[in-house]
Amino acid sequence: MNIHYEFPLEEVGYSFGFLDEYAKKEVRRTILKAICIPGYQTPYASREMPMGRGFGTGGLQLTLALIGPDDTLKVIDQGSDDSVNAVNLRQFVQLTCPGVGVTEKLEEATLIQSRHRIPEVALTEAQVLVLQVPYPDPLVVVESSEARRKIMHAEADYSRLLVKLYEDIVHFDEITISHRYPTRINRHYVIDPSPIPRWDVPKLDQSPALILLGAGREKKIYAVPPYSVAEPLVFDDVPFRVEDFRDEHGQRRACARCGAINSFLDEYSDDNNAKIYQCSDSAYCDGQLAQHQQREVKG
Amino acid sequence: MSNVQNPMASHGLWLPPMQQQIFRDLLHVFSYPGRVAECTAESMTWLALLASLTDGEVSLADPHGLITADIWPKLEARPTTPDTATFILADGGRAMDFQPCTGSLESPETGATILLRVAALGEDSAGGFQLNLSGPGIQGHTELAVSGLHPSWLIARAGLVAAFPLGVDLLLCDEHRFAALPRTTRIETGEII
Amino acid sequence: MSYVAIKGGKAAIDGAAAAAEFLRGHDNSGEPLKLSAIESQLRLLTSRVVSEGGLYHPRLAALAIKQFQGDTLEAAFALRAYRSTKPRLLATPLQDSTNMRCIRRISAAFKDIPGGQMIGPSYDYALRLLRLDLADEDPEAFQSVARTFLTELPEADLPDSFPKVLDALRAEGLLPPVTESRGEPFDITREPLLFPVPRSAALATMARAETGSLLAMAYSNMRGYGDVHPTVAELRVGYIPVMVPHPVTGEPMEAGEVLVTECEVVAMYESGKAASLPTFTLGYGACFGHNEVKAISMAILDRALQKGMQDGPANPSEDPEFVLLHVDGVDSMGFASHYKMPHYVTFQSDMDRLRTTQVKAREAEQSPQREV
Repeated sequence: MNIHYEFPLEEVGYSFGFLDEYAKKEVRRTILKAICIPGYQTPYASREMPMGRGFGTGGLQLTLALIGPDDTLKVIDQGSDDSVNAVNLRQFVQLTCPGVGVTEKLEEATLIQSRHRIPEVALTEAQVLVLQVPYPDPLVVVESSEARRKIMHAEADYSRLLVKLYEDIVHFDEITISHRYPTRINRHYVIDPSPIPRWDVPKLDQSPALILLGAGREKKIYAVPPYSVAEPLVFDDVPFRVEDFRDEHGQRRACARCGAINSFLDEYSDDNNAKIYQCSDSAYCDGQLAQHQQREVKG
Repeated sequence: MSNVQNPMASHGLWLPPMQQQIFRDLLHVFSYPGRVAECTAESMTWLALLASLTDGEVSLADPHGLITADIWPKLEARPTTPDTATFILADGGRAMDFQPCTGSLESPETGATILLRVAALGEDSAGGFQLNLSGPGIQGHTELAVSGLHPSWLIARAGLVAAFPLGVDLLLCDEHRFAALPRTTRIETGEII
Repeated sequence: MSYVAIKGGKAAIDGAAAAAEFLRGHDNSGEPLKLSAIESQLRLLTSRVVSEGGLYHPRLAALAIKQFQGDTLEAAFALRAYRSTKPRLLATPLQDSTNMRCIRRISAAFKDIPGGQMIGPSYDYALRLLRLDLADEDPEAFQSVARTFLTELPEADLPDSFPKVLDALRAEGLLPPVTESRGEPFDITREPLLFPVPRSAALATMARAETGSLLAMAYSNMRGYGDVHPTVAELRVGYIPVMVPHPVTGEPMEAGEVLVTECEVVAMYESGKAASLPTFTLGYGACFGHNEVKAISMAILDRALQKGMQDGPANPSEDPEFVLLHVDGVDSMGFASHYKMPHYVTFQSDMDRLRTTQVKAREAEQSPQREV
């Protein structure tokens, strides 16, 4: 090869939205079918993105196929806009989609890409939520062959999954699934709602906003359309329970920062090994804090 | 109609920014069945919709010969018969006269998307049907007025979507607007308006 | 009471990038790596990256190696991501590897083969003794290496191409006849793998698989979790001219050439279909670049997978879903790395479940035995 070879300029430039237009069209067609078949894991030819599989490449391909110059994007990871991975994804979109606005305020966003959380405040019809998915198939715990899982899904045959839940109750007197709680959409397909806590599962039901889920490594896209029935898989006599944030006296724990007693809390220890609780949704926490400060100023 | 004065709008439908905008409107109508979107491109609605959806990876059937020879290469889609096509463009004013693919149990996404050209959608649908809709994407019930749709389509669709997840997804369009009826939408045909 | 600041992510990733870049630049020689040096002196590293990256661009591969400080997984990954931005303009028609301009060609099946064994560049028979003289190489001596080799090269009357060893076996009826084209090959960059997949999908997946993963799977078969027992009928390394149809005339024209390693193994015979005679079975491996272990592993796995597709898998290496979904370097390394990302929310949820279960277990211990 020629030692003096220089890269042609076009080889280092990227077009709007990083992906080529054919890739975007394929993702778009897949999204529409995913909406038409709620909860069905629609296969697509997932492209390699410049971040690792497992870092949100599925969500990112959805975002890049959707986004246009009129959009305002919010990216969150673990509930926080400033988590390293959220920053990384947001910077990538800003780099490859000139003109797109970004925000940390939920109410300003038209597109929200998230890993592991659904925002505390209800979404609106003017918003689309994109969730990043590591494992799309809830049946994988009972059946390792994808070919067989596809048939079970088609027939809405979740008996083996229910047996698994039942065995849990027999062993532990409690369903031990903590996050990624299997949820039935539109009374047919059961989805893995991505590693959101159980706290966020009820937000899937009758959501005014479209919720799209993208699994880049497993090459699947699925959707919870707006105003759809989303029911966590349970037994009549064992209710679905969200995370319990009460202390040993039965008192609801409050966020150490904003004082909220209605949000999902992160738990950690300070240097003296004392437990501290704080809102996982940082924008919500900021909003609560701002309201308090306003009240103090007025008072 | 907007953009009447915009000279870019007519050939813009082949360019990425317009296709992104049309896709977002498609996303909206599929998410909220029965809602009607305005077509932003200054061209025939069906053409703008197809332009934003097709490429060399998909097959397209045109049983009623609506696509002219100069358009086919731009759409890039492989021409095929309605029984195997991913996308079908048809004249909703004529009786339904083909059997589309409804997908398989393992791969229901291979059920066709049928783009149906009708006389009018929404407010100016005098002389048509009032469709009463419910299902995912609809809070309770909603209504969609359509004119210039042959009743055979609704009868045939009811049969094609009876065994969910199998089915076909309809995209209705008139000259300026479009609306979607995914396979999950339950339709009751109301009175003639 | 203290709380975790919810700002600082951007500063943290900028700092991490700066620290990594510091380590790249922290070199007493003060000489940045030249891409041409990586491409030629580390040609096997470059080969591995073009192969696993699934993009034949040795110069970009060299850049990726430099940028990611020699991490083959990361470098291959960067090539793949780059490829995502490029539209597929054309699918090449079937290429004929008989036309390969060979730099190396051997057969383990026969002592001599039509066209001759051509050992070419290889370390197969080199003693793995460290050559300490390379630690302090004189630039002039280094520059004379290639010059001397070329001047001393005997004038050989080599043909442009060599016949395939398999063709002779086929002519003798020891191999099944070549069936006509089985239709369009599966494009793994366009279609997701939904099992069962055609052989072309398996071959394409393995061609850009991570070398170590492929080797481990093939090795399991060689050791006893399988029974391919291959003989390398032919292993060739060289440049294949890439023929594409001329955009106007449609006539095939040479667009360039790619360095490819190709391996064909012959395995134990099986009874013929529909009253024909029994024949040997075949396994095929090919990948971009000079990667012999990869091509051999792929050929063995191709045979194992064909057997699994026909009779049902009896071993992991015969199970297409098991092999093909676990050999991709970009997928597997990405997922392994993602466990380093924060998982606070899910862990919080895990603790909630464990605590609730513990409370219940304690209650059960304290209360009298109950029926389950």
